Amino acid sequence: MSSHLIELLPAYALGCLDEEEALQVSEHLANCATCRAELRAYQAVVDQLPLGVREANLPPRIKKRLMAQLTFPSSSTRCLSSGKWWGRLGVFMHRRFPVWAPVSLILIVALTIVNLLLWQQLRQTQIATYPEVMRVVSLISTDAAPGAWGLLAISPDGQQASLVADGLPHVGPERQYQLWLILDGRRISGGLFSVKPEGYSLLQVSSSISLFECSGFGVTVEPVGGSTYPTSKEVLSGAF
Amino acid sequence: MAALRTDYSSLDDRTLVVLIGQGQSQALSELYERYSRLVFTQAVNIVRNRSAAEEITQEVFIRIWENARTYRAHQSAVSTWLTSITRNRSIDILRQRRSRPESHSVEWAEMPPNDEHVADSYERTMDIQIQRKRVRTALGQLPADQQKALSLAYFAGYTHRVAEALEEPLGTVKTRIRLGMQKLRRLLEKE
Repeated sequence: MSSHLIELLPAYALGCLDEEEALQVSEHLANCATCRAELRAYQAVVDQLPLGVREANLPPRIKKRLMAQLTFPSSSTRCLSSGKWWGRLGVFMHRRFPVWAPVSLILIVALTIVNLLLWQQLRQTQIATYPEVMRVVSLISTDAAPGAWGLLAISPDGQQASLVADGLPHVGPERQYQLWLILDGRRISGGLFSVKPEGYSLLQVSSSISLFECSGFGVTVEPVGGSTYPTSKEVLSGAF
Repeated sequence: MAALRTDYSSLDDRTLVVLIGQGQSQALSELYERYSRLVFTQAVNIVRNRSAAEEITQEVFIRIWENARTYRAHQSAVSTWLTSITRNRSIDILRQRRSRPESHSVEWAEMPPNDEHVADSYERTMDIQIQRKRVRTALGQLPADQQKALSLAYFAGYTHRVAEALEEPLGTVKTRIRLGMQKLRRLLEKE
């Protein structure tokens, strides 16, 4: 095993390697159990570092806001297991009308775009400042996910976007898809998403930087909770 | 007959996450009581902005609420899962700002005096107190330049930013980070 790569493992665990080195290490780890074990040991050190700083106090209103924001999920699985009628209706529709899934996906894409347009109409002042129309970027699949596709619809002010993707494989409960915004050669996370049981994916993106400044966009598979930089090859990519 | 009420404060972290996955908001409330300060501290030390750190703290717990079912206990402790999500999100925000790296690094806390008052009832648990002391003792044994490099690397991201902030060659910074981490690993694995 390369001693050079072993020396990079502490910085890799810290998430502070440059992208090129990080990808090199990531590819090596896929084939080296020894280095993976070393990485786990360094990761355990990194996990404890937050305990090394003195804790700051948090105002109580944060918790109040958090608890007020909670929405209670109503997945079809839970509906079915609890016998809810709308869950059973969904299963019936899917079985009786197989075309329902793609038709509903098209409806979701259309509604997402309409939603963005309506949202923009509420911000007339900002729209007057940004004469550009909403732009849509196609995301093309790579060898890693043949047959997949995506669309990124970006609002005229460039700070909101909706991602719709279809055909991405399910990656299991320990991994998620992560959208990357490519800016000045760096990759900034645009958010995380999972594939819904029906097979499509949705993500609302909100960015403090204008998405029009990005040279491109990519989607990779990452551990649940996301990564600070891509650790695997892109499955979808696109550019203006 | 009076309904039985769950005493969430007596449950371990992993059980709390299972209950959160079942939609029990009281379980999330308890987890928040235990770890919100840790999450907030980590976020504020990375993004250097209290308001942004407050939002990140909220986002992290919302994410826990939405993804509790994906948590795998054999992979990491709940606290590790939380700090990992916090750090990733905070560094994303930091990079979006494209701010210049700060030369002032976060100071690692010194060993607390034995009679330090602990306000949080959960912190009275021996485990977290012992862990905190071990980590601070280990950090205290690193040379100052390694402490500083590690602080900047953990809270600021890329090594080239660390080198820029310290005005040192990139190779020197990489060596300090590596040596600091190796020493920390030896010290923390010893016990």
